[in-house]
Amino acid sequence: MLKILNLNIGRIALLLAIVTWLALLFVDLVRLFGVINQMDTGFSPEITWILQTLFFIMVFLFFHNDIKKNEGISFLDLIWKGVSTGLFAAGITVLVRFFYFLLGNSRLSTDPLLQNFFYHVNFGLSTIFLISVTLIWRQLILYQKDKNVVQQWQAFEIIMLVSMFFVFFNQTTFNYSFIFGLFFIYIFGIILSVNLKWIPYLTFKEKWKSILYLVLILLATGFLFFHTVTQTEQATVVVSLTENLFLLGLFGFVFIYALFSFLVTLFNLPTSSVFEQKLTEAINFQKLSQSIQPGQSENEVLDILMDSCMSAAYVDAAWLELSPLGENPTVIHQRFISEEDRAEVEEQLKNAKPFKDFLIKVEPKPFEHLSGKINHPFYKSALIIPLRVNKEVLGHIYLLKEVKDGFNKEMINIISTFVGQASISVENHRLLSEAIKNERYKEELEIAQRVQRSLLPSVLHKNECFDIAGLSEAADEVGGDYYETFQFTQDRFAIIIGDVSGKGTSAAFNMSQMKGVFHTLVQQDLSPSTFLSQANGALGRCLEKNHFITTTYYVLDTSTKSIIYSRAGHCPTLYYSALQNTCAYLKVDGLGLGILRNSQYSKFIKEKTIQYQPGDIMLMYTDGIVEAKNGEGEEFGFENLQEVLKQNYTLSPENLVKKIMEKVYEFIGTDTMPDDDYSLLIVKFLK
Amino acid sequence: MLQIDKIQENDHTILILSGEVDASNSVDLDNALQAIMEPNKKILLDGSKLQYISSAGLGVFMSYLEEFEAQTIKFVIFGLNQKVYNVFHILGLDQLITIQTTKEKALQEFYEA
Repeated sequence: MLKILNLNIGRIALLLAIVTWLALLFVDLVRLFGVINQMDTGFSPEITWILQTLFFIMVFLFFHNDIKKNEGISFLDLIWKGVSTGLFAAGITVLVRFFYFLLGNSRLSTDPLLQNFFYHVNFGLSTIFLISVTLIWRQLILYQKDKNVVQQWQAFEIIMLVSMFFVFFNQTTFNYSFIFGLFFIYIFGIILSVNLKWIPYLTFKEKWKSILYLVLILLATGFLFFHTVTQTEQATVVVSLTENLFLLGLFGFVFIYALFSFLVTLFNLPTSSVFEQKLTEAINFQKLSQSIQPGQSENEVLDILMDSCMSAAYVDAAWLELSPLGENPTVIHQRFISEEDRAEVEEQLKNAKPFKDFLIKVEPKPFEHLSGKINHPFYKSALIIPLRVNKEVLGHIYLLKEVKDGFNKEMINIISTFVGQASISVENHRLLSEAIKNERYKEELEIAQRVQRSLLPSVLHKNECFDIAGLSEAADEVGGDYYETFQFTQDRFAIIIGDVSGKGTSAAFNMSQMKGVFHTLVQQDLSPSTFLSQANGALGRCLEKNHFITTTYYVLDTSTKSIIYSRAGHCPTLYYSALQNTCAYLKVDGLGLGILRNSQYSKFIKEKTIQYQPGDIMLMYTDGIVEAKNGEGEEFGFENLQEVLKQNYTLSPENLVKKIMEKVYEFIGTDTMPDDDYSLLIVKFLK
Repeated sequence: MLQIDKIQENDHTILILSGEVDASNSVDLDNALQAIMEPNKKILLDGSKLQYISSAGLGVFMSYLEEFEAQTIKFVIFGLNQKVYNVFHILGLDQLITIQTTKEKALQEFYEA
């Protein structure tokens, strides 16, 4: 919407400018015709002035709008626009003069109407040229603007606007007030003309070009001014258009700024290469400091580094030797030197002091870098800088120059900065890769966690005679606790609870083996002691030497209300007897699975049978529960567990599990992290 | 935190454990046992300053059982507090390792058996 409006303003302004110019021409020609024929045409000079001012404003609006569309074009292209307008205006003027030259002394050459027509053409072209160039100067002046400059420019615009109307009050040209106004505008123009911040950003070549352009603008301005002045003298002009404060002010301003720019550009030429160098260094530094993007490699950073180092010190040849610890050195980014020459120079450096010592010396190096002269037909001086990543020397940068003492302090400083920055970039890149890798491990661990969760039963077997609930929480992502049930018949069940020594991933693997062993052996409907002996035999072959598993295996028969169990080193079962209202740990001798990996094992496994009553509770748990420590290092302990069960025997197994966990967490407090897996399995007999 | 000290007495070596044995330092215990196993046939372990032993610590003792037997090394633990003893007992290790209440009783295992 706004764009369309902008476009329209430009077009309307152009149209109105043409119309006002034609009107101006018409009015003046009619008036001239009147003067020649001594007739009163009734056109007062004010009409001309109004039209003239309107023309100025329309041209200004048109170019103001036009230049907005071209935002972001280079300085040279911008100036070129001015040059082309100037050349066009001057060209037409030259053609007009040539035309008059051809006419010689013919009648037509003195025809006032024709003269007047060309006078208007010249006026229009000059106005267009001056306003367009003024707006170009505006862009240049306001480059890297601050508040002051903006205010100065705004003031200048207002002054110029006022100067358009000056003619209404003061018709005499070159009287004191006119000259004062002109002087004022020139002084202001000079003040504005010190804003030349765009010049240093031109390259050497661009500066030459801009000097050419500025000369052309100066010539065009001078020529148009000269022509305007001479023409006004020659032509029969009734109402002068060109002896106007605005127009003459613009002539001065355009000329002054062009002159300033020309001189400053000219004087900037010799130092231009230094500025360019610094700018390249700044850009290189920025490139190096940007962390390596995904998909980019360290190599690219090192590539930029080598280029930066070379351009910073005008180096003639260079290479980078990477020598990671324990690996053969590799040469990369070899620049402007043949393989033989490089080998030759390197051989020389490695055998001559002081480079020899510097290269051989491992961390910490005595200096950050070393420069010195070398004996080589081409290369006279060398600089070696170690490249460090994570305080380890990754390799050395070798820089060679064909002149003696080719490396001064400034160059070395800049190169050191580049190397430091590159090191940081490479380091960041490595850290990022590591973080990504860790993230992947984490994902893998999450998968392991999901798999392991699925190893624990979601539904526990039961019948109408008892209720059962279980819970397992791992301290790490994965844990080593295990429980499971199995139903042989309507009345007979197997229950197992186990704890694998250690925790985390290794425990989780052993736990899954345990599950496999359980499912294999449970099918055979073995007695608890036989079950454990066979499990020991199976697991003894696959557990690591110092790993063991503790477990208790129960066979529950609801038809006879009996529990037969054997304990393989697992925490003793806590049993609540409803009849006696007592809580006690079921004692039976046993030995952890995997502790004794021979036939002797079965001798240590005992079997016990108990009869249960309705209301009795069997609480199975892992050592994480009783060994849960609080901030003071105290353990939750067997007594506490006993106490909790005694006070909450009325609860359902599910709620009892919750209650116990609540008590455990209450005990350890919020400041301590669980450092072992917690598991609970509770059976409550209903009838 | 685990501190392991070694005292040579007559022809037996005493290993004194102070602090806690857990997964992070069970390797130290393993190394200490490994180091004194070679020249000694009689090893005494003073556990009176042992506050806690995790399953990883128990695993270390367990892993030496066969070797002790094969090399006819006598290994006796003494002075365990009730809590630590209970850990050995629950696992059943007390049936495989001689555990005595005092140093004197432990020494009797060596010299009066």
